[in-house]
Amino acid sequence: MQAVAKEKSTYLEGFESAPAASARWLADLNRRGIDAFEARGFPGPREEAWRKTNLRPVTEHHFPVAEGQGTAPAELIERLGDLGECHRLVFVDGQFSSALSDLEGLAAGLTVAPFSEYGDSAPTHLTDRLASRADIHWHPFAALNTAFFADGAYVHVAAGSLIEKPLAITHITTPEADGRAIYPRVLVDAENGSEVRVVERFIGDAQTGAMVCPVSELFAGERTILDYSRLQEDGIATINIGTVNLTAQAEASLRGAFVGDGGRLARLDLIADLEGEHGEIDCNGIYLTEGRQFTDFHNWFNHRVPNCYSRQRFKGILQGRSETIFDGLVKVFEGAQKTDAVQENRNLVLGKRSLAHSNPRLEIYADDVKCTHGSTVGELDQEAYFYLRTRGIDAAGAQGMLTLAFAGEIVDMFRVSGVRDHVRKVLMRRLGVEDDDIGDIL
Amino acid sequence: MALLEIRNLHVNVEGNEILKGLDLTIEPGKVHAIMGPNGGGKSTLAKALVGDEAYEITEGEVLFNGQDLLEMDPEERAREGVFLGFQYPVEIPGVSNTYFLKAAVNAIRKHHGHDEIDAMEFLELVRERARRVKLDEGLLQRPVNEGFSGGEKKRNEIFHMSVLEPKIGILDETDSGLDIDALRTVSDGVNAMRSDDRSFLVITHYQRLLQYIVPDVVHVLMNGRIVKTGGKELAHELESQGYEGFEENAA
Repeated sequence: MQAVAKEKSTYLEGFESAPAASARWLADLNRRGIDAFEARGFPGPREEAWRKTNLRPVTEHHFPVAEGQGTAPAELIERLGDLGECHRLVFVDGQFSSALSDLEGLAAGLTVAPFSEYGDSAPTHLTDRLASRADIHWHPFAALNTAFFADGAYVHVAAGSLIEKPLAITHITTPEADGRAIYPRVLVDAENGSEVRVVERFIGDAQTGAMVCPVSELFAGERTILDYSRLQEDGIATINIGTVNLTAQAEASLRGAFVGDGGRLARLDLIADLEGEHGEIDCNGIYLTEGRQFTDFHNWFNHRVPNCYSRQRFKGILQGRSETIFDGLVKVFEGAQKTDAVQENRNLVLGKRSLAHSNPRLEIYADDVKCTHGSTVGELDQEAYFYLRTRGIDAAGAQGMLTLAFAGEIVDMFRVSGVRDHVRKVLMRRLGVEDDDIGDIL
Repeated sequence: MALLEIRNLHVNVEGNEILKGLDLTIEPGKVHAIMGPNGGGKSTLAKALVGDEAYEITEGEVLFNGQDLLEMDPEERAREGVFLGFQYPVEIPGVSNTYFLKAAVNAIRKHHGHDEIDAMEFLELVRERARRVKLDEGLLQRPVNEGFSGGEKKRNEIFHMSVLEPKIGILDETDSGLDIDALRTVSDGVNAMRSDDRSFLVITHYQRLLQYIVPDVVHVLMNGRIVKTGGKELAHELESQGYEGFEENAA
């Protein structure tokens, strides 16, 4: 709260002392962002949605915007190849890097560009959509992002275009961003009848104590297939707090794959809005924490119209003294009959001192719906663990095998093969599984 | 040298002494049966031999091939050639029967300094052994024991044993819940593995199984001790007379 205890927050001071964006549309949007932040401030201790998220590492410091683009270490650049064949759009410390991006041979109908490329002449379908869903009056970090973002990724898929090759948008945090804030921004607009796969990924230097506040807005038009993967793999000293808005129109199929295994303090507010009948939003997530990591998924799924389908399946694997939150809302609006919603959160607690919170919430204002939720926090099945060992599998292998099996149910749901393969490797590394035979379980 | 030598074994479960000084010696190539009433300590012996931590050894020693078995972790016991067919096989969602067995086979081979098994060779081995116990091939790809019927689970245990080829197979109430046809299949699977250097310890409440797996030696385990040892005819005696006559010996 220190940041807003004064007459002006340090963020507003920072905003006013920096030159406004040269593009008019962006300067206006930034202004709306800082006004919203100034009016709202950081969450107080009594705000229910933020009560369990310890924001002290954020509020005790001021994170000025990262200045310029740092030098990405070679080992981070190497990781750009992790996801296999992809179009590549790369931002370094919040700024577009043309050197690291590879947008050769984009299929017809697919537009991928950094906002900065447009200057003053951004197309109206960009400026109309941008910030139309992220709620800056509700979410203080969405407001901060809106106040300070200077660049971002614009992805537009023309009506009827079917894009097979995935697009990977990577945000790299370099050591120069230590103590600084980075505001990544993504807008994906899939027009009616199109199909596209987008991967958004956060990676960074292990020692860098940056604050990354991303905002992504994805629009799935009627009858689209939009596949979105979000891999939060920041360096262990980094804070990542942001929002994702998923919006599905009639008969759209919007699938989300979420992985959180980076950062010391990570929170995502995932807002899913079903706005057209027979739309579906199917999100699967996995979070892996160790040491003193804190990871928080707050899901807000809104069934605004009848006959829609949503799935939230999130699993946590906790090691060390880490702590996680899964807080998931399914809200069925009045009149949204025949809603079919399932929410599941399962946590496997491997660390004796790790702590998983699971909080499912249902708000239902229609009377003909099918909504279920399940939530568990458990330890490794000791009987299964012992059984595997009596067949010759060592202790680490048995734990790895059972944990991979637990995770496998989610990983199998990920539709982009490059993402699936990558997440398998992350899991094996995290669980200390070296034996490929055991990795084959996945 | 005896394959397995148990001397004065005392085992506690949740603070209660279940085994109270058990002695048992098994020579290579022999099939021993342990019979006895429920609660006598049969399953406790099986679990203690494979290193279940819930079974606390308070006294005694167990030598396997001359080595101190009780000092070994469960996986090391398995790699040295001890196999337990569980009375209640555990379901392991998400872990395929075949992948799991391959990892186990390779862990055992590595322990003995052998190369990993060739993938094709492994598949052939698995198919052949599955046929031997009439295990449906579909169950090979399924998660271990998940959704298996009671009989399928028991067959799967014998299947695991025939792939892992242990030096001693301990079968804990493998006959319970099996119909006569399944019992014959399981027994055939065990008999096919009998050899001069492989032993079995067959734990059962009933004599029925021992008609198919004919033991060399039969022991009666009651109140935590072996109270009588004899040949295969002892099993028949028990079947007709019950365990009552042994109570006094045990006391």
